[in-house]
Amino acid sequence: MPKKTAVKKSAAKKSAAKPASKGKLRPASLTIRAYQVGFGDCFLLTFKYPKAKATDKERHVLVDFGSTGMPKGIESGEQMMKVAQDIQERSGGKLHIVVATHRHKDHISGFTTKTDGSGTGEVIAALKPDIVIQPWTEDPKAKEPATKKKSKKKTQSHKALAATPLFISSLNDMNTLAEAAYAEVMHLSSSKFRVPLDEDLADQVAFLSDDNGLPNKAAVANLAEMGTNHYVNYGYELDLSRLLPGVKAHFLGPPNLEQHAEIQQERSKDKNEFWMLQGAARGFWRLQATTGELIKDFTSGNDQLFPEADAYQDFFPAHSRWFIRQLRTLRGQQLQGLVRILDKAMNNTSVILLLEAGGKKLLFPGDAQIENWEYALKIEDNLQLLEDVHFYKVGHHGSRNATPRTLWNNFAQKLKEGEQGPRLQTVVSTMKGKHGHAESHTEVPRATLVKELVSLTDYETTEDAAENKKLYVEMEIIF
Amino acid sequence: MKNISRPRTRRLTIIAQDPSVRVGGRVLTTEVDVPAEEISPGPRGYRVQVVDYDTSTGVLYQPLEYPPLQNGRYIDPFKEVADRPTNETLLNDPHFHQQNVYTIVMKTLARFEFALGRRLSWGFPGHQINVAPHAFADANAFYSKRDQALVFGYFRGLSGETVYSCLSHDVVAHETTHALLDGLRNRYTDPSSPEQAGFHEGFADVVALLSVFSLRDIVGLLLQSGPDAPKRQANDLISPQALTIETLKRSVLLGLADQMGAEMGVGIRGDRAEALRRSVDLPPLKETDDPETYRKLDEFQEPHRCGELLVAAMLNAFLGAWRARIDKLERGRPGAKLDLQLVVDEGAAAAEQMLTIAIRALDYAPPTDLQFSDYLSALLTADKELMPDDSKYDYRELIRKSFRAYGIEPANINSPDGTWEDCNADLTYDRSHFESMLRDPDEVFRFIWENRKALTLVDQAYTKVLSVRPCLRFGSDGFTLRETVAEYIQMVTLQAQELQLFEPPIGKPEAMPPTEEVTIYGGGTLIFDEYGKLKYHVFNRLNNSIRQTPRLRYLWKWGYFQDPDAAQNAFARLHLGRALNLKSNLTEAF
Repeated sequence: MPKKTAVKKSAAKKSAAKPASKGKLRPASLTIRAYQVGFGDCFLLTFKYPKAKATDKERHVLVDFGSTGMPKGIESGEQMMKVAQDIQERSGGKLHIVVATHRHKDHISGFTTKTDGSGTGEVIAALKPDIVIQPWTEDPKAKEPATKKKSKKKTQSHKALAATPLFISSLNDMNTLAEAAYAEVMHLSSSKFRVPLDEDLADQVAFLSDDNGLPNKAAVANLAEMGTNHYVNYGYELDLSRLLPGVKAHFLGPPNLEQHAEIQQERSKDKNEFWMLQGAARGFWRLQATTGELIKDFTSGNDQLFPEADAYQDFFPAHSRWFIRQLRTLRGQQLQGLVRILDKAMNNTSVILLLEAGGKKLLFPGDAQIENWEYALKIEDNLQLLEDVHFYKVGHHGSRNATPRTLWNNFAQKLKEGEQGPRLQTVVSTMKGKHGHAESHTEVPRATLVKELVSLTDYETTEDAAENKKLYVEMEIIF
Repeated sequence: MKNISRPRTRRLTIIAQDPSVRVGGRVLTTEVDVPAEEISPGPRGYRVQVVDYDTSTGVLYQPLEYPPLQNGRYIDPFKEVADRPTNETLLNDPHFHQQNVYTIVMKTLARFEFALGRRLSWGFPGHQINVAPHAFADANAFYSKRDQALVFGYFRGLSGETVYSCLSHDVVAHETTHALLDGLRNRYTDPSSPEQAGFHEGFADVVALLSVFSLRDIVGLLLQSGPDAPKRQANDLISPQALTIETLKRSVLLGLADQMGAEMGVGIRGDRAEALRRSVDLPPLKETDDPETYRKLDEFQEPHRCGELLVAAMLNAFLGAWRARIDKLERGRPGAKLDLQLVVDEGAAAAEQMLTIAIRALDYAPPTDLQFSDYLSALLTADKELMPDDSKYDYRELIRKSFRAYGIEPANINSPDGTWEDCNADLTYDRSHFESMLRDPDEVFRFIWENRKALTLVDQAYTKVLSVRPCLRFGSDGFTLRETVAEYIQMVTLQAQELQLFEPPIGKPEAMPPTEEVTIYGGGTLIFDEYGKLKYHVFNRLNNSIRQTPRLRYLWKWGYFQDPDAAQNAFARLHLGRALNLKSNLTEAF
């Protein structure tokens, strides 16, 4: 078992938070707007403080703002601007906290600024959030080696310190590879081939590689500058009493490398195996990225593998054609496998945020998957903490890997229709047909999960907003 | 018609091991013999078809035209270039790359056919395997049954050079072995246990490594120039005391791993170098240790890690065999120095012999749910059939000891020597025909159905004869004996709640819903002697709860039921998984 570092001492206690002492401000209710951003996430939380002074009666938190595709008939740029302007209006011109759970385009594209100042990123930046919360992997300081001197110490902390910049470099290499994969899949789908790559396969690869491409620099810079940044990992302590009185934040993920190592070391006899695997993974992604550069050179016509060799120009020999078509499909599937792996790695850098207010708990896990969750879920105190979650933003747009069974089974407020008691509220921000495939049980949202959400929770989906041509679905929580 | 004697083999140049292995600055090449044929442009022959298409660029490279037989000789188009003082042009010539893969695939195939004494089919319909030497820009190479192909990637190495996996002898031999094993035992890719999945990887590694060690130039180079090379005296003499198993291990095995993991040793080569190092460094268990020590660990549930146990056992057996041969050289001349070349020759001979036994053992292995213990009994039986009198080098004891050191004991615990027992079942032969049984699957099915009770088949299961093949061995009087090996499988799909109906019941994994559909397998290998009488019946009963219960538990835990894609032992995924240590625990998934 990992060290029982419960997130907060109060996590050990079940049930409602202590009643406020006299004079302490706390929220009376919360509305959550889940914006219709197609395949993406954007949630505006508005905490209401009726007893606060006039200018402070509402405090606003924005969790993610991004999209990689809108439903048919909705123009992406226009919709995102409508969302930004609604956030501006609803927040009364002031955001208190922005959370960017991870670097995927479908979570941060809305923070992009434009050179002429007309981007959605400018709208959000003008709301001057006091703090911006991102995962530790986005910390500019974490990219640099801690010290130029090689330490002789071999503690886990020292190993983590040394490995962290390399891990972050690997994430950057994954982004580079994703861009190369995009270039290659576009090439394979080209109409110059009599039988181009299967459209469905090509779409899936293109979607994932686009989402995982190098994060938009303007968005990254905007997030870094718009407020005081906190780069969080599991157990990070952040006092919100000034910004959101009566609201506590628990960070249940992502684990840092030292915390990841704890999990691995439980499984392996070799205590150093985790660090060796980190080194091997680093080498793998570095190699993929450099080969990705080769692919970009080839597909853009800047280089050739064997410039002097003779190649067939128009017609290929008949006996080779079947195999060549097979090879193209094989390559498409290989790219699909690679981008799925790096997509998962990126998802697992997500911030897992649990907010506690008025005796109720609200869970926002970004796109965190099982590997991100496993550190938190191994700690018994956290299972107690999560048991009475009242609101759950369904992870990763409703995919099968982002709501671990352990987490789901632990939710005590799941109730069938008509049963007595406080019922779990859930929302999924998603769009069918963009990610995964029913045939391989990877469709997003996952049908089996949705079935349980519908039957056991008060369930909302942004797909309803899309269908009804609304900008958002809204939920209210009374404390 | 003029009677011209046509050669049975032809010599073609390949890279001996890898472009990084140089002697005096030249890339070390060698010429090997492959079955002779008139090669069409590709090269394209009776078993291999090279199609040099690069998916990342969309380019199909034109092949070389090979000159026909002239004056009773075939010309090797690259011999002259290979022998030049600088032969680096080979590395950037796609025609040479095409020849390199063709030759190594054909050589490996020929090696299998030599060991088995018969033609060997691929595991897919069709006689010619497609080979793409520059299939894509990726540090990967694999066998694809669906595409009837071996595909090799290229990538940018750490120093900016382009690295071609098709130029690494051990990589090509490894992938070819996957294809050949699939041809011989095509149910070994069914979802089963970590040992069955690990067997494919481990066996392919063993064949590739022993193939490399059977090249005298390579063994000589490693013994002379490896980082831990034993000290040589003048005149290339060496003291036998310097050739302990440990020094052989460090110089030859780790030396090879160093070469594989050298400057270009990233991607698939780097992974294989690392795997070889791990196999070499895996500490053998002591007599007093629990034999399950390794298998109990979660990490050895990973197929590739599990396969490293097999590699460790086989390589140690190889080193033991080599040392036994060196002992023979010493005998009668205690204290005398040995000629290094003789030592090298004995190493190559030991590798050849181990390789033959390793391949022949497949004929004595069950067709489904293979465990390492089954393979060990098969190895011992194959060796006993080939060489009843083992007293010269005591190979079988060596093999047993090596496997025991990694917790692997023969499956047949009743037999004192670990070999399979003779089949003593009470069988009926009078309703089947001897001659047809030598070649006809329907006839063999007639026989096994007639004897289904005696052979302990499960009546309710679907049963099929997969193959009937000749199997040669030599009698003690030197005569060649023609035996027959046939495989059959049984399979049944039922609901999980029905597993308890077997006697004894097969355990259902705890979280598995009662209505979950599960498929369970059984099967057997039948070896008929020269008279058509059943000599060996090597089988896994379908209703064996001791095997099936842990198998289902393992497959359920790793998500094979929730995700059929994960159940496919796609070699591309396996190699990727090896590189990234991917785990697919889908029990938490929806």
